[in-house]
Amino acid sequence: MANVEISAVRKSYGALEVVHGVDIDIKDGEFVILVGPSGCGKSTLLRMIAGLEEISDGAVSIGGRVVNNLTPKERNIAMVFQNYALYPQMTVAQNMGFSLEISGKSKAEISSKVNSTAEILGLTPLLERKPSQLSGGQRQRVAMGRAIVRDPAVFLFDEPLSNLDANLRVQMRAEIKALHQRLGTTIVYVTHDQIEAMTMADRIVVLRGGVVEQMGTPMDLYDSPANMFVAGFLGSPSMNFLKGRLAADGSPGLTLEDGSEVKLQHSPQGTSNQAIVLGIRPQDIAVDPVNGTPAVIKVMEPTGADTHVLVELAGQDLVAVLPPRLKTTVGETIPLSFASPNVHFFDAASEANIPCDPKSEHDQ
Amino acid sequence: MFKLNLFQSARSQALILLIPAFGVYTLFAIWPLIDVVILSFQEWNGISADRKWVGWENYNYIFNNDPVFWVSLKNTVIWTILSIVFPPLVGLLLAIGLNQKLFGRASLRAIYYLPVIIAPIAVATMWRWMYDPFFGLFTQILTDMGLGFLARDWLGDRNIALYSMFVAYVWQHVGFSMVLFLAGLQGVQSTLIDAARIDGASRFEIFRYVTLPALSPTITIVLVLSTISSLRAFDIVYGMTGGGPAQSTQMLAMWAFTQSMQIFDFGRGSAVSVVLLVITLAIVIPYMRWSQAREEAVK
Repeated sequence: MANVEISAVRKSYGALEVVHGVDIDIKDGEFVILVGPSGCGKSTLLRMIAGLEEISDGAVSIGGRVVNNLTPKERNIAMVFQNYALYPQMTVAQNMGFSLEISGKSKAEISSKVNSTAEILGLTPLLERKPSQLSGGQRQRVAMGRAIVRDPAVFLFDEPLSNLDANLRVQMRAEIKALHQRLGTTIVYVTHDQIEAMTMADRIVVLRGGVVEQMGTPMDLYDSPANMFVAGFLGSPSMNFLKGRLAADGSPGLTLEDGSEVKLQHSPQGTSNQAIVLGIRPQDIAVDPVNGTPAVIKVMEPTGADTHVLVELAGQDLVAVLPPRLKTTVGETIPLSFASPNVHFFDAASEANIPCDPKSEHDQ
Repeated sequence: MFKLNLFQSARSQALILLIPAFGVYTLFAIWPLIDVVILSFQEWNGISADRKWVGWENYNYIFNNDPVFWVSLKNTVIWTILSIVFPPLVGLLLAIGLNQKLFGRASLRAIYYLPVIIAPIAVATMWRWMYDPFFGLFTQILTDMGLGFLARDWLGDRNIALYSMFVAYVWQHVGFSMVLFLAGLQGVQSTLIDAARIDGASRFEIFRYVTLPALSPTITIVLVLSTISSLRAFDIVYGMTGGGPAQSTQMLAMWAFTQSMQIFDFGRGSAVSVVLLVITLAIVIPYMRWSQAREEAVK
């Protein structure tokens, strides 16, 4: 077990810099998820921790030791890949024991470690099979077994669930989380799937364009996103953004581009008449026949538990998560209320969050 | 209307496209093959209207009374063993080298492949000149380096002629194996190599446990094609030594040709051809079956 310290790490390919000075301090035993869209540098960062990619500048330390110039083997890490990367000609047992075998461990030791790991992962009946005879979920479990057998200081996961179907992904998510709780080993996990990040991580690092946008616990990031990117990236369905101007008299309300008014519960201080972007999660929009602003329904998606409604308001599309069995149809208008305590305000130019404490201001 | 209907069915379309070729192949490939087998039991000088049935006489003769047959069989075996070792091995080494990211590798690939597209008879002629004991390139180079005592009559010395010829053969065939191995190497999953590096494998261990197993289908193809191409070695022998000196570079394919086309004993020539065919099938079929079974086990 060990902590991982990433200090001012940069990665360039020739003149093109793809990671621009990233600092992340991962505590011993912590489960940290690097999340971001394709090309944000998350996998490159993971590969630099693993030693599969050279570090152009800055330092990576594992357990207090700078590992920049160490081979992957010397870093005492194990990695699980998206496409499993199992050796096709070897059996499950041979795959799991491969690293121990080439490090010269005795047959008895290899077999005892492989067997006990197989036990944890429920792989015992499959030990003599070849990877081609396994399902996707079983293969990924073998890949995890191969990592666990080595008893590394840090586990690295590179989008390990992306090749699995939706049901299996949910199941494996729980298994990985349980495994972390059981082993207590530091995990650095890369994914583009914000649900994986939200459900599994102790701490999430949101990356965009090779820069850390925000770091924190899943709920910190969900409740207090630093900017519109983080706000839109975490949460499903994504947060809605509504462009407008705050009321000139300082009262909590937003004037949209077409002049229609949206009532709010609060608004940030000293921002009268400022152009802002209102961020509101679909779950925080409610139907309110009295104070609601009318919006035109474009699409309705009943999910069973609730209804996702795509509406148009002042030329902007919004999604609202509303109760099931709504008595309305596409083309009709629906009065929607945005007066939730959980709305966010973003500067229209910088996209940064404008801090605003709902309790201290304009309470209604 | 009739044509339109025919082309509407995929099966009739396939038949229409394949039948003319089938006719041509029957006439010029299958029938000659059968006729050679028949001819190997007959006596014929290639001109006479009569072909006399002699039973196993031709086989009896080549096995018991024809020392050149045994020399050519021995040479063919040596040649085949060398051919399935050296051109694939050198081709694999070149492919591994050219699979690395290095400047000008596309040009190097083209250069190493170039000999493959030269007509074998031209290769034979070129190398015969280079091997010339008086004016040839090799003698010249050795003399210039002060190593004139190493110069030999490369193709005139019966102890080394076969191997001299083999060097030219390797030069021509390496590019072919190389290209197949390069294609195979591109198919090796990079994450498997990453996984092996994380597992602590050395470069050699990565080659041994990741690259080589991934190349096994390519190795099968290369070995089968190398075997076939070495067993039918003819043009290079014909162009460089004609089987000499003193039959020391004689090979089965060349000897079958000499028996038929120069001695005009088509029966014996055919018998030699049939022996060559049987050897080829006896090597290639079991090997392909074995490697297919092995690949399926991995898949």
